[in-house]
Amino acid sequence: MTPMTTLVRAELFKLRTTRLTYGLLATAAGLTILFSVLEASRAGTKAGGIAPLYTASGLDSVITGGTWALLLAAILGVTVSSGEFRHSTATLTYLATPHRSRVLGAKAIAAAAAGVVFGLVGYLIAAGVGLIFVAAHGYHLAVGDATLARYGAGHLAAAALLAAVGVAVGSLVRSQLAAIIGVFVWTIVIESLIGGLFKSVQPYLPYTAATTLAGSSLGGAAFGPAHDAATSATALPFAAAAGLLIGIAAVLSLLAARITVPRDVS
Amino acid sequence: MPLIEVHGLTKRFGKVLAVDRLSFTVEAGTVVGFLGPNGAGKTTTLRMLLGLVRPDAGRATINGKAYRDLPEPLHQVGAVLEASSFYPGRTARSHLRVQALLSQSDPSRVDDVLELTGLTGAAGRRIGGFSLGMRQRLGLATALLADPEVLILDEPTNGLDPDGVRWLRDLLRGLAAEGQTVLVSSHLLAEVAQTVDSAVILDHGRLIAQASLAELTAGEHNLEDAFLKLTKETAR
Repeated sequence: MTPMTTLVRAELFKLRTTRLTYGLLATAAGLTILFSVLEASRAGTKAGGIAPLYTASGLDSVITGGTWALLLAAILGVTVSSGEFRHSTATLTYLATPHRSRVLGAKAIAAAAAGVVFGLVGYLIAAGVGLIFVAAHGYHLAVGDATLARYGAGHLAAAALLAAVGVAVGSLVRSQLAAIIGVFVWTIVIESLIGGLFKSVQPYLPYTAATTLAGSSLGGAAFGPAHDAATSATALPFAAAAGLLIGIAAVLSLLAARITVPRDVS
Repeated sequence: MPLIEVHGLTKRFGKVLAVDRLSFTVEAGTVVGFLGPNGAGKTTTLRMLLGLVRPDAGRATINGKAYRDLPEPLHQVGAVLEASSFYPGRTARSHLRVQALLSQSDPSRVDDVLELTGLTGAAGRRIGGFSLGMRQRLGLATALLADPEVLILDEPTNGLDPDGVRWLRDLLRGLAAEGQTVLVSSHLLAEVAQTVDSAVILDHGRLIAQASLAELTAGEHNLEDAFLKLTKETAR
């Protein structure tokens, strides 16, 4: 039986030789730059509604731009699994590795590794924009090194786990387009709606939890009524948010494995 | 023991009985044609043999084991199922490198099979731009990469131009001469008759005949006549 490390290496090789990987990474970088610069230039102005950059809250808003990398990492995960069905490559993949749950596991690990890169890129850009604007204004940095490091670690962990969740979702849905649209609608529309309507549930919503893990305020990365709404709920602590995402990734992966294994591939 | 053994294999898709209690064997070192009209159940049978489709009943084994229980499946079976199942953005060479990694084959095999299938010049090109014939060649290169004991080919002449058909025939004859076991499905009988030792004929998912080429064509003008007569008999 082909060792798991070989399967993961093969999946990583596939990711490196796929243009889509670089396209998604570039999109993540572009959206992060756009939103971070937008937030940074509006911070502290009357119209912006964003706290000045010499406050921790203002800097948070800028670093929240990095959460686009988390979303794109989830999309990458979706393409890793659903791409097999979109391009009918599942046949060759399963001929090489008839144990389909091993294929799924290798994909989740490889996507998570790629997710780490996405998270890193998103964080470096968002934090970089924040620090440049702070320096340009001549402000003192409102957060310590430890906090910045925690935001960085949060970006990496959240992007890796969301990529693994994406693999499971792509495997369950199979239609690449439907899965990608589903992820966008879930993260941007549904979580924003539920988060806005039911404040007590908001910290537990998976994408929201991922963004708070990466350092955003609760609802900071959301749109509409859920965006930074006055709320009595607080974001989950770092370990709890990470645990929640690990749990979701595990449950969806097991479900995907159960459903994928007996399915006919034609 | 036969290399491939299919016993009582049955598969139903909704109301359609695609494969109906099919049994046949393939001995090591022989080239066996797997023949039948379009929709006879050839592809479904091969997919069940390869663990891609779950049979409703019966079993299919290679070296006595179900495909998913083979310790090194790519070293035991090389299969070419359909012409388009490659990631279009990847080059032929990097596709084969992934396969070499998965089968734990020597990386030098990549160049060997590119050469063997006449794709060396196209190795650096993206597969998305390949013609159907080039995809068939790449499929064969993929199947041959790990030097398998048995080759399973599903309609390998589809999409090949006359040059390609001749090339494939020569390749199969060469492999047969080396003692390679091959199971090749086709609906083009004249083509298959030139390469196979024996044939398994099915229609409507059922076995009609398994016999050597000589036995099948005895008393008939050629394999095509024998085939048409056999399939007509079952239609009645």
